[in-house]
Amino acid sequence: MTSVAPQGLPAVFQQSTIDYLAILPLLIVFGVAIVGVLVEAFVPRDRRHMVQAGLAVVGLLAAFVAVIVAAKHQGLTMGITDGASDRRLFALAIDGPALFMQGTILLLGVLGVLTMAERLGGVGPDAFTPSGASTPGSPFETNASRAGALTSEVFPLTMFAIFGMILFPTTNDLIGMFVALEVLSLPLYILSGLARRRRLLSQEASLKYFLLGAFSSAFFLFGSALLYGYSGSFVLGDISKAISTGPIEMNGLLVPGAFLVFVGLLFKVAAVPFHAWTPDVYQGAPTPVTGFMAACTKAAAFGAILRLAYVGLDTGRWEWTNALVVIALLTMVVGSVLSVTQTDMKRLLAYSSIAHAGFVLVGVLAFDSKGVGAVLFYVATYGFAIIAAFAIISLVRQNGGEATHLSQWAGLGKRYPLVAGAFAFLMLAFAGIPATSGFMAKFAVFSAAVGTGGATGTVLVVVGVLCSAITVFVYARVIVLMYFGDPPGDTGDAANAVEVVVPSVTTTFSIAIGTVITLALGVVPSALLDLADRASQFVR
Amino acid sequence: MNEPYVPVLFMLGLGFVFAAGSVGTSLVVGPKRYNRAKLEAYECGIQPSPQASGGGRVPIKYYLTAMLFIIFDVESIFLYPFAVAFNQLGLFALIEMVLFVLTVFVAYAYVWRRGGLDWA
Amino acid sequence: MLSLLVFLPLVAAVVLAAVPRLGDAVARWLWLGVAAVEVVLVGVAWAGFTTPAPGRLALDQQVEWIPGVRSSYHVGVDGLSLPLVAMTAVVFLACAVYSLKEARRPRLHAALLLFLQSVSIGLFVSADLILFFVFFDLSIVAMYFLTAGWGHANAARSALQFFLYTFLGSLALLVGFIGLYVYADPHTFDMLELIAAKPLAGHGLAAGLVLAAILLGLAVKTPTVPFHTWLPPAHTDASSVGSAVLAAVLLKMGTYGFVRIAMPMLPEAWRAWAWVILVVGIVSVLYGALVALAQSNIKRMVAYTSVNHMGYVVMAVGAAGLVAGDAAQARGIAVTGAVTEMVSHGLITAALFLLVGTLHQRAGTYEMAEFGGLARTAPKLAGLFAVGAFASLGLPALSGFIAEFQIFTGSIAVAPVTAIALLGILITAALFLLSLQRIFTGELRGRSFGFADLHPREVWAGGILLGLSLLIGVYPAPLLAVIEPAATAVVTLLGR
Repeated sequence: MTSVAPQGLPAVFQQSTIDYLAILPLLIVFGVAIVGVLVEAFVPRDRRHMVQAGLAVVGLLAAFVAVIVAAKHQGLTMGITDGASDRRLFALAIDGPALFMQGTILLLGVLGVLTMAERLGGVGPDAFTPSGASTPGSPFETNASRAGALTSEVFPLTMFAIFGMILFPTTNDLIGMFVALEVLSLPLYILSGLARRRRLLSQEASLKYFLLGAFSSAFFLFGSALLYGYSGSFVLGDISKAISTGPIEMNGLLVPGAFLVFVGLLFKVAAVPFHAWTPDVYQGAPTPVTGFMAACTKAAAFGAILRLAYVGLDTGRWEWTNALVVIALLTMVVGSVLSVTQTDMKRLLAYSSIAHAGFVLVGVLAFDSKGVGAVLFYVATYGFAIIAAFAIISLVRQNGGEATHLSQWAGLGKRYPLVAGAFAFLMLAFAGIPATSGFMAKFAVFSAAVGTGGATGTVLVVVGVLCSAITVFVYARVIVLMYFGDPPGDTGDAANAVEVVVPSVTTTFSIAIGTVITLALGVVPSALLDLADRASQFVR
Repeated sequence: MNEPYVPVLFMLGLGFVFAAGSVGTSLVVGPKRYNRAKLEAYECGIQPSPQASGGGRVPIKYYLTAMLFIIFDVESIFLYPFAVAFNQLGLFALIEMVLFVLTVFVAYAYVWRRGGLDWA
Repeated sequence: MLSLLVFLPLVAAVVLAAVPRLGDAVARWLWLGVAAVEVVLVGVAWAGFTTPAPGRLALDQQVEWIPGVRSSYHVGVDGLSLPLVAMTAVVFLACAVYSLKEARRPRLHAALLLFLQSVSIGLFVSADLILFFVFFDLSIVAMYFLTAGWGHANAARSALQFFLYTFLGSLALLVGFIGLYVYADPHTFDMLELIAAKPLAGHGLAAGLVLAAILLGLAVKTPTVPFHTWLPPAHTDASSVGSAVLAAVLLKMGTYGFVRIAMPMLPEAWRAWAWVILVVGIVSVLYGALVALAQSNIKRMVAYTSVNHMGYVVMAVGAAGLVAGDAAQARGIAVTGAVTEMVSHGLITAALFLLVGTLHQRAGTYEMAEFGGLARTAPKLAGLFAVGAFASLGLPALSGFIAEFQIFTGSIAVAPVTAIALLGILITAALFLLSLQRIFTGELRGRSFGFADLHPREVWAGGILLGLSLLIGVYPAPLLAVIEPAATAVVTLLGR
């Protein structure tokens, strides 16, 4: 029982060392979020939208610059080295994977904010309801929109979410991880419920996401408690050390603890069987939020999974690897097979994102710095493609509302060749066709898994390859539909036709950037691949 | 022998006994004088009806008050230990505390400016 | 030099796709011009070509691309690839000539075919597995759009079937490539290094699996029985130009993969599996010929003869793997024959598909029963088709003969059983003569009335291809001089 008791903290108060330059990105994002709340409170309504959107974008870019600065200040920070026991009790690990994820999330966040800021001529963001609290379809709601109410709170909420996201892969202990998990989740629960159109679907999505998310957080917390019981510490390095020296009969705490903690994280990346929320939430949430979630939440959660798997629980790998292998297999298979039967564009991409989570897990299971680099690269490339894809979806309208049913997309390529072309290209990227970033990403992940994953890695890759073949069918079907399908009910009724609205420069910018990066990383991936490779070392 | 688990089992049993026991005891011992207020879901504070699903609106003021309370509640959780260990912690902690309190006040300012405190 | 060859069409394609204001006429002539320049460039390359030293490539060029996995932009040619590059350039030139009157979205059509040309030439010159794979998959994508956008009847459906089938095959190929990469020490995707390293030598089972994955990927693309089922619908519903490119160039990517990748990199496994490959080849020959004989649709018939002809190639490379005694020379002849057959089949089949396409374009059908006595209304078509048919069935003085003669000489010397495949030649001869008779001779019938004869551009398109076939048939020495050393090198590598 001796190892179970928590090792005593130092008797004298020891001030923690903080490298402020290393945590500058976190501080900037959090500060901007706070200022955003103040803007909500004090800036007149008609200027709020511009101020908020500008503030968010500038803040994110500043934070990105800070990430570059922080790259010179890598190491553990915000904590103490206990002189007596030589334990390193640090809350944050500023290292390659953390900084890479931070940079990725911040850039994706810029694109996400820009699509959210789309107004389409209205006073507030077009995708968001002017009054989230009112009952859908009630007179109160009508009055609110007539009075010019707007939900510019989405920007501070997004900034808080991004703060949680860049904290998530950076935290070095389970408590910090939990805090980050909550900070990133809570704003997302609210954002999912704020869709302007199809309010009930949106509110349902929000509630589902909240309930299941709360459950998974509870799992995470329970798992952390068990791991604390096992190792006597929340710090990942301590847990790792405890596993390598700890008594074997305590595995009754270690195994369920590790598993429950993973459940909490796998929920966020939508791995099967913790994926049930994904299609509903992706469909119900406002489309720009869906894109933002798909890109950034996934990046953040995979950052945390990497740290947990490679720093915290690495020494106990044999206890949980098999479970994770099964989950990766299930995720790929279920995600790709179920995406075949989808008839709604947003649900289709939701299932596709599940399949992609499976592919990334294959990279996680490579247990090698190559695998880490591949995961970082994959998450970044997927993020840029998916944000652009959802931004395009938000532009395809019928009668003012988004036309997300597949049949509504039929024949889109004939009337809107540019938009359809960009979307088809993104579909090819999701399918992993060469000359798109999707191919390079899959290739990196799979070759890492075959290279160091042994027989299990090979099996995973074979299944992964088969699954990506299945998903190719899905994406090809969308392309066929856009280019060779007949437009629905082609009655010549102009008011009823499916159209692509002309977006403002912000949305155009994020679609263009997402698409161009997807192409660029497919043709000349070496710069980012190198960066990801060099960023693949964790500090402990 | 799974010795470490015996206390866990014991705690489990204790929890169960306490839950069942307190419910059972209140059934036996408690006075049974029902009136309208007693039969409400919450005996005090908020009126749970009318239902939102019926198109009616739920009074939100109770929740607002509750959340504002939590803002200051959380603040005091940190202020007490800070006050106790003030001498040891020094200037650093003072700055940290000020920042923390300011952050909390931002939320307060938001509620105030956006009409959260207008009771009418 | 080679990069120019690869990227010139790509640049032209991007320009055409990006600038809608270029008129249709400009698009057509730009395409024709680029295709002609490509042929000239290939001619220049050929003139300056000397057989590279073993383990080297001529005109090679290497630029860092993804150094993390040791994959580079590495291109170069040798006797195996140069003839195919030349064939590709000629076929695309013929297609450009043929399409001068393309009415359906000519600008995008030209852009797509230029893209396809860039990809095809890129594949044949690439000396890096990842580069090879990129071009391999992009060819599928481009072909998909070509079939779906410019085909007829069930084009969208056939195109999707083609896309999914060959894409699945390409994924198997990718798994095989990754296998090669992982076993190579140091890890690399460079073809020359991999050939030198023989990465899986001594890994019996693993080598077999990697070879199986690569063979599967290539066999789907080639296609051999039993992976050929995508081919007939794709050909039937593709446009004439699409069919010509598909048969002439894209199928060669599969067989080229055999001689460029599978044989030299996995010699042990190839030798172990040589009999299986040989038998698959023979079955493809006979099955392709028999099914072609049963077709009433002339385009489907030509499509099945592709299965038959690719069968010869597969049989020959299979025979080359049967290392026994001192038959090295015979095996060298078989491989030479295989490469020659690739070139010859490319030229002949492209011509046949273009010519057959005129039937559908004028009469709206490919059914042989709808025609009769066409030689009277369309003598030029009859003449060119007859030349094509004779070339395809292996008449001496045409390229098909040179190729098939060498294949059989080499194969029978190594494995006498391959003589069975001679039956294939017999059946092919029968079916071509039968189709000639049904369509072109006899009473004027059905849609032959008022059938307009070939337009000059169509004559030119078919003429370029068949003329080259005739040239090779009469004077094969320059071609064989390029192929033979490379074929011998492959056989030597295979014997390691």
